[in-house]
Amino acid sequence: MAAQPRTVSGHSSAWVNEAVGQHLIGLSSDMAIMSLLALSAYVLLLVGRVSFGQQAFFGLGAYASGVLSVMFHAPLLLALGFGMAFGALCSWLLAMPTMPLSGLQYAVATLAFGEMARIVLSGWQWQVLSPDGPVGPAGIEGFRDIRWLLEHDITPAHFLGMTLAILALVLVVLMRTERTRLGVALRMTGQDDTLAATQGIDVSQVRLFAAAVAGALAALGGGLYAHRTTYIEPALFDPMLGVHAVGYALLGGLGTALGPLVGVIFDLGLLDATHLFSGWRMVVFGGLLALFLRWRPRGLLDEQLVHRLSQILNWKARA
Amino acid sequence: MMDLLQLVVDGLIDGGAYALIGLGLSLTFGSLRRLNLAYGATAMLAAYLGAWLYATQQAPAWLVAVTMIVAATLIGWYVERLCFAGIGQDATQARGAPVAGADGREVVALASSFAIWMQLEQLAVNLLPRHLNAFPSLAVAQDWQLGELMIRPDRLGLAVMAAALTLGLAAWLERSRMGLSWRASADHRIAAHLVGMPVERLQTLGFAAACALSGLAAFSILSLDGQVTPMFGMWALLKGLVAAMLGGLGSVRGVLWGGLLLGLVESLAQASFGAQGREFASYALLFVVLVAPWQRSRERFLATAVPG
Repeated sequence: MAAQPRTVSGHSSAWVNEAVGQHLIGLSSDMAIMSLLALSAYVLLLVGRVSFGQQAFFGLGAYASGVLSVMFHAPLLLALGFGMAFGALCSWLLAMPTMPLSGLQYAVATLAFGEMARIVLSGWQWQVLSPDGPVGPAGIEGFRDIRWLLEHDITPAHFLGMTLAILALVLVVLMRTERTRLGVALRMTGQDDTLAATQGIDVSQVRLFAAAVAGALAALGGGLYAHRTTYIEPALFDPMLGVHAVGYALLGGLGTALGPLVGVIFDLGLLDATHLFSGWRMVVFGGLLALFLRWRPRGLLDEQLVHRLSQILNWKARA
Repeated sequence: MMDLLQLVVDGLIDGGAYALIGLGLSLTFGSLRRLNLAYGATAMLAAYLGAWLYATQQAPAWLVAVTMIVAATLIGWYVERLCFAGIGQDATQARGAPVAGADGREVVALASSFAIWMQLEQLAVNLLPRHLNAFPSLAVAQDWQLGELMIRPDRLGLAVMAAALTLGLAAWLERSRMGLSWRASADHRIAAHLVGMPVERLQTLGFAAACALSGLAAFSILSLDGQVTPMFGMWALLKGLVAAMLGGLGSVRGVLWGGLLLGLVESLAQASFGAQGREFASYALLFVVLVAPWQRSRERFLATAVPG
């Protein structure tokens, strides 16, 4: 790329356009993947729990789907589905002993679980021989050559389309659920679990269900991430990742499933991508988030705003 | 046999450092019933300021220590104003009410103090961008020999200081008038307010004292290593959290036992499974303590939340 001919005015414009295009495609894919992780934090926040361990399910999903597509030559969608199921199962198993804890204890327990999972992945060695040498998770070295996309000639643009379609599907399902009894039960549990229990809602079942869904969503994001980058290592799944997911959900708002997307777009799309504050991004993002939460504890798109917006939309539709 | 004894002694001595770092965290929780996630980052930024002073101004160790304590207190004040102020409006429930339950403000305090954590950590790294930064060293090279036992006198001094500080603070909170009023306002805000206690001020004071302790702890621990890395913030928070949780978050004496237990388990795990095992053991210990059924049934968490 460095040997590209340059015109007098600077770069050759076709090349620049293509590079910018590639960059935008990559950035959009990252944002869609991060949105899935933020949505998993959002589902747990809905039932009144803050988890600092979602990065573990992201990582477990990445490893599980990578193993299936690389070592068992499964098609991508099957691998992603397997990762999701695995993430949901792990999350459900974790939620069994931890969900009865208080909110604070739950947050710390998930943080401890996330670190335990990362350390276990760091020690996991399991490789098989392939024509290009051994492949598979190699402990702290990471898991290389998850090349399903390259082997099947899927361009980054196609991958972006697929990722966006998956994200849209997830959003539609989540937003449809809002209107059902299940959606109401989720929000009631989050608002006041004692009151919800007196209304006949099985609070612990609702929370376990939310945990399983959150685990599946995080694992789905992880599977997509592993195939996009072709390389994963345990150090990627550190608590910072999980806590960013929580931050995006809280920033964007808990009123609608679109909230976490707003958080992601603000941080990754605006602060990170534009290099607006390069070395000071965290200083700005952290300060803004803390200030913001003081006057809008349930995020930008909180329940009140969403309710008001939907009223306006309904009124327009009727008129 | 001697090896095992050496491991136990090493572990207990290391545990002193964990107790020291957990003390401030536990104190904050005792007064606010909120977890300050920016705790480790506060200590780290203070340590970076100290290291910066040491590197650029050749400041002596005592000046670095004083600077760090003052800096940690100021940073703590900033964190308190931004993340924990105005808790009074909703935390006025009686003791035993679901203060640690699923109330919305708690989640928000967790998230906003985390956001401040990221902010402080980035500020520290911007101040000194290198990975390893020199720190005034007070380490003693010569080990003490006690029969076949080897003891590092500097680490022993740290452990003794931690124990003295913890026990002294617990006694002070129990006996002194100031300690009584602090415990009263942590215990029941409305009642404390009704009998004329400046609840808000006591809370801010407690928070600042906790942060000053974190500055002191950071200086004592780092001066034995003679260096500081960007990992320190995370390390301080996690070790302090495990120590404080093991002892029953909020309990002052408990932190000491929690720290010692953590040090012991880590030392034994390190000998049996290596460095990864040591790290795993500390998280596993925390996890088990949290989900163990006896923990829940005894409601230790709230019962011992107020020191004494």
